[in-house]
Amino acid sequence: MPVVRVYYDDMERLIGASRETIMGRLAMMGADIGKRAEEEYVDVEFFPDRPDLYSVEGVARAMQGFLGIKTGLVEYPIHKGSVVLQVDESVKAVRPFIGCAVVRGLSFTSEAIESLMGLQEDLHWGLGRNRRKVAIGVHDISRVVPPFKYFGEDPERKFVPLDFSLEMSMREILEKHPKGKGYGHILNGCDRFPLIVDAKDQVLSFPPIINGELTSVTEETEDLFIDVTGMDGMVHKALNIVVTSLAERGGRIESVLIKKNEGDFVSPNLAPTAWTVRAEEANRLIGFDLTAKELAECLERMRFGASSDGGAVRVQVPAYRADIMHSWDIFEDAAKAYGFDRLEARLPRTVTVGRAHPSEVKKGEIRELLAGLGYLETMPFTLTNEKIHFQWMRRESEPECAAAVRVKHPISELHTILRTSLLSSLLEIFAMNQHHPLPQRIFAAGDVVLARRTHMNLAAASIHSGANFSEIRSVADAVLRELAIKAEIVPSKDGALIPGRGADLMAEGSRIGCFGEMHPLVLKSFGLEQPVVALELEWGVL
Amino acid sequence: MLSENDVKVLKAISEGYSDPQRIAGKLEMKIEAVRALADALGEQGLIGVTKSVEEAVSLTDEGKKYASEGLPERILLSAIGSGKPMSDLLDPAHKIGLGWLRKKGWAAIEKGTILPAGPAPRGKDEEILQDLLLADAKSSSLLDKKGLSDLKGRGLVAFAKSKEWRYKITTEGKKWASGGMGEVFVQEMPPLTSDMIKAGQWSEVDGVLNLEYRGSSYRPRPYDVTLAADKIYPGKKHPYQRLIDFMREIMLEMGFMELKGQIVQSSFWNFDALFQPQDHPAREMQDTFYLDSLADIPDYTRVKEMHESGKGADSLGWGGVWKPEVARQEVLRTHTTGVTIKYLAEHFEPPVKAFGIDRVYRREAIDATHTPEFEQLEGIVMDRDVTFSHLLGILKEFYSKMGFEEVRFRPGYFPYTEPSVEPEVFIDGLGWVELGGAGVFRKEVTAPFGIEHPVLAWGLGVSRVAMLKLGLKDLRLLYQSDLEWLRETPVCIKL
Repeated sequence: MPVVRVYYDDMERLIGASRETIMGRLAMMGADIGKRAEEEYVDVEFFPDRPDLYSVEGVARAMQGFLGIKTGLVEYPIHKGSVVLQVDESVKAVRPFIGCAVVRGLSFTSEAIESLMGLQEDLHWGLGRNRRKVAIGVHDISRVVPPFKYFGEDPERKFVPLDFSLEMSMREILEKHPKGKGYGHILNGCDRFPLIVDAKDQVLSFPPIINGELTSVTEETEDLFIDVTGMDGMVHKALNIVVTSLAERGGRIESVLIKKNEGDFVSPNLAPTAWTVRAEEANRLIGFDLTAKELAECLERMRFGASSDGGAVRVQVPAYRADIMHSWDIFEDAAKAYGFDRLEARLPRTVTVGRAHPSEVKKGEIRELLAGLGYLETMPFTLTNEKIHFQWMRRESEPECAAAVRVKHPISELHTILRTSLLSSLLEIFAMNQHHPLPQRIFAAGDVVLARRTHMNLAAASIHSGANFSEIRSVADAVLRELAIKAEIVPSKDGALIPGRGADLMAEGSRIGCFGEMHPLVLKSFGLEQPVVALELEWGVL
Repeated sequence: MLSENDVKVLKAISEGYSDPQRIAGKLEMKIEAVRALADALGEQGLIGVTKSVEEAVSLTDEGKKYASEGLPERILLSAIGSGKPMSDLLDPAHKIGLGWLRKKGWAAIEKGTILPAGPAPRGKDEEILQDLLLADAKSSSLLDKKGLSDLKGRGLVAFAKSKEWRYKITTEGKKWASGGMGEVFVQEMPPLTSDMIKAGQWSEVDGVLNLEYRGSSYRPRPYDVTLAADKIYPGKKHPYQRLIDFMREIMLEMGFMELKGQIVQSSFWNFDALFQPQDHPAREMQDTFYLDSLADIPDYTRVKEMHESGKGADSLGWGGVWKPEVARQEVLRTHTTGVTIKYLAEHFEPPVKAFGIDRVYRREAIDATHTPEFEQLEGIVMDRDVTFSHLLGILKEFYSKMGFEEVRFRPGYFPYTEPSVEPEVFIDGLGWVELGGAGVFRKEVTAPFGIEHPVLAWGLGVSRVAMLKLGLKDLRLLYQSDLEWLRETPVCIKL
C-alpha cells in the first residue's frame, strides 16, 4: 500500500490543528499508521481505493473536513489557458487517452518535488496498474513552446531522456534506460511509440516510459505542464488528483484545449458528480439512525458537497475521488465521519443452528483414533514437489503421478505440485527429527488433490529399530475396524514398499490405500537410517 | 528381616564404601537397585544417607571457542597495540571485545581511538575457562563465584544439576553386617504372578508386606518412588489443530454452519464473483498460484454486466471488457471467500450463517512469518435487516470468546466489502494488534447471484492467532514440525 511520509510541521500548518489531534484521529479516517514514529515525521499507509490521499496535500484536505475545520466540497477554479495539445490519429492504437493541465505560480522546495514525485509513483501503482493504465508526466513548461502534439512516433526517433545527457533512440531507451527496461513491456508489439513534442519538435514526454531531460522540474520551476496518458477514462481521475493537490499548495490551475478528430475538449474537468441518496438506506446499511440533515453533515465532513431534501441527500462527489462507484461507498464515508468508535456493536437476532461439516467430524474421529494408538499429529504442507513425492517414493509410474496438480509459476523447486498422498510428508518430518528419541509415531489427516479434486486421506508412520509389518498390520486392522471401512487386503506392487511386505487396501474394486514396510531405497532417499512402517488410506472425497 | 541383597549392600557400606556408584561396581548391581536398597536400609536406621545436590559446570560451544582462542577482549587488546582508531574495527567479534575491554578497564576510548589502559592481568574468568577446557565438567563449588557468574552472563558456561548420595554405616547396621543379629533372610519377591496372587499367603506387619508362597517367605523390595522413570509421550492432536478446533467450536456455538470447498477453484469464484476486476494486482501471477487448466464456469451474464457497467446494482462497474476466458483460469484458492460466495449463490434464502476454516494459498516465499499456504477463518451472516453495526457486534462477541476482551474498530479497505473494517485486539505486552478484516459484501458481489439481503463477513489468518496463542516465533514450525515441540506442548495449553 502507498506510504505517505507525513512531516508533523507541514501537516500542522496545512491542516490547522495540533499534531496530537491529527495523529489521534488519522487512523479513524482510514489509514494504517506506522509503528515507528520518528521525531519529525511518521509514515502512514493509505488504502488502494483512495489515491486522493497519496499526497500530504490530499491528506490535509481530508483531515480538515474530518476534524470539522473546513467542511464541504472544495471548489477549485480553473482559469482559461492558452495551451493547446493536438492528439494525432497515429497514437490511438497505442495509448489513446490523454488529459492535460497547466498549473502556475508554484514554488518548489526539494521536499515538495519529492512529494510530487511520490504522488506520481503511488498513482502509477494505485490507479495506473504500474503505468499500463495510467502514466503521469510533469514538466517545466517554461522550457518548451506550445502548442503541443501527442502522436505515434517511429521508434528510431532520438532525444535526451530524463537523467541522461546523451541522445538515445526510443528503442535504445527501452533497452538501456532503467525506466525503459522496467516498463518497456507495455509497448510490446507496437510499431509506433507515443510521444509528446512542442511546437519546435522538442520532446516533453515518451509515455508511459520517461520524460525528456529538457523539461525536468527543478527548484526554479514555477509553472507546470502535466500530461496523463492511458488506456481509459481513469487518466482524468489521476489528473484531477494531481492538479487539486498542487492547487492545495497554492497553484493556479489553467485549462488546456485538447484537439481530437472526434471533437475537442477542455481539460481538466473538475466538475463534481451528482448523486442522490436516502438517509433510510444509509441507516439500513450502517445501523445508525441519522436524519437526512445529519447524514448530509457527515458527508460534508468527508468533503462531499451535501444538502438534505426531505429524506434524500443530494451529494456532490469531488472530481478527485476515484472510489465512489455505488451509494454504499458514500454511506461508508458517512459511517467514518460519524465515527466507527461511536457505532453501537450489537448482535443480530438471526436464529440459526450450528452444524459441523461431516468431513470435519470424521477428521475428529480419526484424530481420536490415531492418538489413542499412540500417534502424534502433524499438519504438513500440501505443496510439495515431484522429486520428493514421486521419485524418492519410487512411485513415478503410479497413476496418481499423472493426476497431480502442477502450479504454473512455482515460487521454488520445493513447491511445484499439490500432494496426491500424505506419506512422503510424514517421511520428511521423520527426516527433520532424527535427532529426537525413537520410536517416533506420527499421523496426518488432511487433504490431497487428484485431478483437481480434493480427496481426504489419513496416513500414519512409525520409525524405530523394531518397526515391522505386524506392527502396522495391527494398526491397519484397528483403523479399518474403528472407521467401519470394509476393505480387502491384497499384496501390493507399490514401489514405496518392500516387495512381499506391502499390502493394498481394496474397496469395491479400487485401491483406497496401502500399508507395509517402507522400501529401504525410499528410506535412503529421505536420509532415514531406521526401519519405517506406514499406512495410508483415503476415507472421503469432497 | 533383611534380604540377601540388603545384606550385601550393608556389608559393602560397613567396609567403608560410601558412593552408590562404587557399591554398584563392586556388587555388579545396577546403581538404581543399590540406591533403592540403601534407601530402605536407611529407613530402618541401619545406615545413614546424605543426599546433596551438586551443580556441574561445563563450557558452551562459544565458551569452548574462547577457552582455546582467548576471550575477544584479550584478542582485541593485543590487536590494538599502542592504540587504534575505532573505524578500523571491522570484525564483528571486535564489537563484543570492545564492550568488555572498557568494562574491565583494560582500555579507554579517546576521540575515536582505543588506547590500552594499564595492566591487563589474567582474570578469574579466564582461569575458569582454562580449567573447564581441561576438565570437561566440574562442580561449581570448586570454582570462583564472581568469575563464574561473569561467564554465565556471557553465555559461555552451562550448568547442570545432579544429585549425589553418600552412605555411612550406623552402630545398629554394624551389628547386622557382622551377622550379630543372626542370618535371618527372606528372599526378595519376584515379579508378581497370577499364581502368587491366588495361592500366596499375604500378611502385612508395620507397613511391610510378607508373602508365604510354596514354602518360602518373600518380601517386595521397596522402591525409591521419587526417582524419575523413562519419559513417555502420548499420541495427541497437533497444538495448532487444538487451536483450530477451539475456533471451530466458537463458531458452532454461535450457530454457524461449517462449509468446505475445493482447493482448486476457478478464477470466476475466487475473483470475479467477488467483483475483483480482471486487471486487479492481486490476480497477477506474482501473488496467485495459477494452474494450466481451465474450469467450467456457470452462466456469467450478470457477473459480466456487473463488472462492465454495474448493471443490476445501481453501480458504475469497473468499465472495460470482462473476459470469460480469464475467469476460467484455475487457481489454488487465495482465500476461502470463493467457497462462501458459491454457497450463497446456491442458498440465497435468509438466514444464512456459515463459516469455514481452511487452507489457502498465496505465492509467497517461505520465511518465519510467511508460508505459501496457511489457514484462514471466515464467517458470514446473511439475513433481513442485518447492518454494519451488527457485524461489529458479532466481531466483538467472536473475539471475546477467543479470549480477546478488548476490541476496537478502524476503517479498512477490502475489495469486496463496503463498508470495511479492521478489528484490533489488545494484547498485553504488544498493545493493539490488527487481527483480521471484515465488512459487508458489496452489492456488486451479491446482486448478480440474486442475494437480496446484506451479507456480513469477516476473516482472519489462523496462523497469526497461533503466533499469539502458542507463542510461536516461526510459522514453519506448524507445518514442518519439530517432534520435540509437539511432544512437549501439553494438551492443556491455554488457548
